[in-house]
Amino acid sequence: MRVYQCEDSLEGVCTAIYRAYEDHAEHRDTWIRVDKELMLFGEYIPVETDLERAEKVMRTLRRRFGQEDYESLGLALTTPVPEKAQAVYQTVAYGLRAALPPGHLLDHQTDQYVLQTFQLAKKAGREYGQLREFLRFRELDRGILYAENAPKCNVLPYVMVHFADRFPQEDFAVRDIGRGLMGVHPAGGEWYLTDSEQLLRALRQVGYSAREMAYEELFRYFCHKIAIKERRNIGLQNQMMPKRFQKYTIEFAKKT
Amino acid sequence: MEMSWAFMEKENRLRRENGLERENRLGRENGLERENRLERENGLERENRPERENGLERESGLIKNSRLAKEQLCVVNTTGSSLDGMASGTNSPAITDRAEKIFSTADVSAQNMDILPARAAQGGNTMGLMEKLGILTDSAKYDVACTSSGVERKGNGRDLGNCVKEGICHSFSSDGRCISLLKILMTNECVYDCKYCVNRKSNDVPRATFTPDEVCKLTIEFYRRNYIEGLFLSSGIFESPTRTMELIYRTLYLLRNRYRFNGYVHVKAIPGAPPELIQMTGFLADRMSVNLELPTAEGLRELAPNKHRRNILTPMRQIQNGIKVNQHDLTVYRHAPKFVAGGQSTQMIIGATGESDYQILNVAESLYQRFDLKRVFYSAFVKVNEDKALPALPGGPPLKREHRLYQADWLLRFYGFQAQELLDEKRPFFNVLLDPKEDWAVRHLEQFPVEVNRASYELLLRVPGIGVRSAQRIVAARRSARLRFEDLKRIGVVLKRALYFITCGGRMMYPTRLEEDYIVRNLTSEKDRVQFGSDGMSYRQMSLFDDGQYNIKPDPGDVCRVVTGQM
Repeated sequence: MRVYQCEDSLEGVCTAIYRAYEDHAEHRDTWIRVDKELMLFGEYIPVETDLERAEKVMRTLRRRFGQEDYESLGLALTTPVPEKAQAVYQTVAYGLRAALPPGHLLDHQTDQYVLQTFQLAKKAGREYGQLREFLRFRELDRGILYAENAPKCNVLPYVMVHFADRFPQEDFAVRDIGRGLMGVHPAGGEWYLTDSEQLLRALRQVGYSAREMAYEELFRYFCHKIAIKERRNIGLQNQMMPKRFQKYTIEFAKKT
Repeated sequence: MEMSWAFMEKENRLRRENGLERENRLGRENGLERENRLERENGLERENRPERENGLERESGLIKNSRLAKEQLCVVNTTGSSLDGMASGTNSPAITDRAEKIFSTADVSAQNMDILPARAAQGGNTMGLMEKLGILTDSAKYDVACTSSGVERKGNGRDLGNCVKEGICHSFSSDGRCISLLKILMTNECVYDCKYCVNRKSNDVPRATFTPDEVCKLTIEFYRRNYIEGLFLSSGIFESPTRTMELIYRTLYLLRNRYRFNGYVHVKAIPGAPPELIQMTGFLADRMSVNLELPTAEGLRELAPNKHRRNILTPMRQIQNGIKVNQHDLTVYRHAPKFVAGGQSTQMIIGATGESDYQILNVAESLYQRFDLKRVFYSAFVKVNEDKALPALPGGPPLKREHRLYQADWLLRFYGFQAQELLDEKRPFFNVLLDPKEDWAVRHLEQFPVEVNRASYELLLRVPGIGVRSAQRIVAARRSARLRFEDLKRIGVVLKRALYFITCGGRMMYPTRLEEDYIVRNLTSEKDRVQFGSDGMSYRQMSLFDDGQYNIKPDPGDVCRVVTGQM
């Protein structure tokens, strides 16, 4: 039994998949792991991330399974579940062997790995959707917009793509508190990810803009006014907007 | 009415003929030009320029602006410079006061460029933006539509915003309804006297009117902070339908062309407004809606004496035709402007008049079929006015009824049901215990059980517990393998409802009886079941041994007598 140990990223897993195919591995008896946990009778092969090889695999996946399924595979790999790399690897191996047409990779849900990939992708997709909804930007001086949140899945790159399309002419930054990562988008430019402490410190030194508090208060007032008291249903509100997101929003944050 | 892309080419001519020239002239006279000048002076040009400068330049722009500098003086001291306090928020009543102060100061200058003098302003009262927002949100909240779905529009790299096909909800209010759009009225001043409406002419409520510029600023600033997905603009009838529609159009024009907003906009088409205005507004909006208000013409006559069925249906038909023509245009000319790309919707008030669910559902069905509506919304009547023509609602708004109507609405749109299948004249109301799909299924047991591995997609959709997504996944998954019950569970089928109606590989999940009464008893919850027996409602003939009759415990004396053999 071979176990490929790789970096916890899309590129890392793609490189490991490349290696597995290069070594003509017996897929059902091969593992790809992103954690350091040891397996009994495993032959461990460390894999260094190689962007060129990863790019080749990514291109193949996109061509063979279509953009939508390719994105699902990427989303599944953002979840904090150690088995994700194995699920994605086995799904890909199944899809390539069965020569599935684009858009049908995740159809075969009676297979445990396909189902697991599907469920992981769904979970990450839901969190990506929630971040799109519940992320709140606060305006700092010089018109910089800054937001932070602590998602369970590493969906920051997806979130950045969404907001870069939405606010092309804004300077904004989104910080993933748990991972210490920050997505930065300069106005009119390309966004990038960074873990620079220096940038964070610089941002912390900039105060809120003059009108920020006023707009926050306006929005709080709006949320208060839009509710119909005869229809009050706090249970439904909490169901639709989980508490872990509420604490990062303007309208729910505890008043101090 | 002929509507095509050619219309846009003819727009200049139409403008001259149909009053836009007048509008322009009015704009010049009423301060649009002045507004531009003021903006230049006040440094607001910054916001209108699509190409953003870098932050430093922007800051200097801010400082140049004396009014904003004043705001800075007000607020800077109150805000912490550290980002640590961000998550917890730093809100205090003092800030509310300050914010109101800021916006009332802001409003003084805003009134200088006011296009429409508000009643409050005429009276010399300088109403703050906060107060206006409060009044006009309060007045708009009974409008139910707050969806931002139906349009997929990528950002263009210059303007602010994009649209996402599935829509995005940004928050949820304490009634559990989503906050997706900035839902406000342009004005709550109204010349109509609809009995159910909080803004009726004869109501003594605070009145306010936004200026188009205020609406635009609020939208842009909320949107930048990711509070909202766009704007939902409705209005009371200010002076006349034409005047109101003009105001709405003007606001949208500013929002799209000066503030360069590329996000979602939903506006009301005002019945009675000139078709040209509605059409021009349609080219700026993503969704338009005309409220049907009440399901029948009689109801409308009774409760909304100023509104007429024909007036409501005319703009609806116009928008429908506009969308059709535009679809044709878009196939011929790739870059033709889009007309109401997200389709049109409407809403009906439920429970204010005596219509049955069957009548309401039939109206909804014909709206979908004959007017190509994207959505029909149902609004449980909330009694905000005292009027003898309005029903008393001791149990609050009819929320359960509204819920059943929405369920049935989904069955019409996505599950291939017809209104006649769900209800008929003999049973004009929905079952309170079962949802419409379960109710249909227990009355059509001859069609069940269905074999999941072979049944057609259309038939799968009719099984309670199987939704559109699960049905699609079942159809896709059974191509490669035979499905078992555990697979169905993982796929997302709600087996506690579906198990009475399906087989997998020829077997049912548990030994169950295909009997109406047995299934109904199992489908209804424990709580409902007690009611079910005790209030005499049953699917079989009443008997001495009905479940509900067995609630009384025997007294201890009887128990002793049974044990000792005396009884």
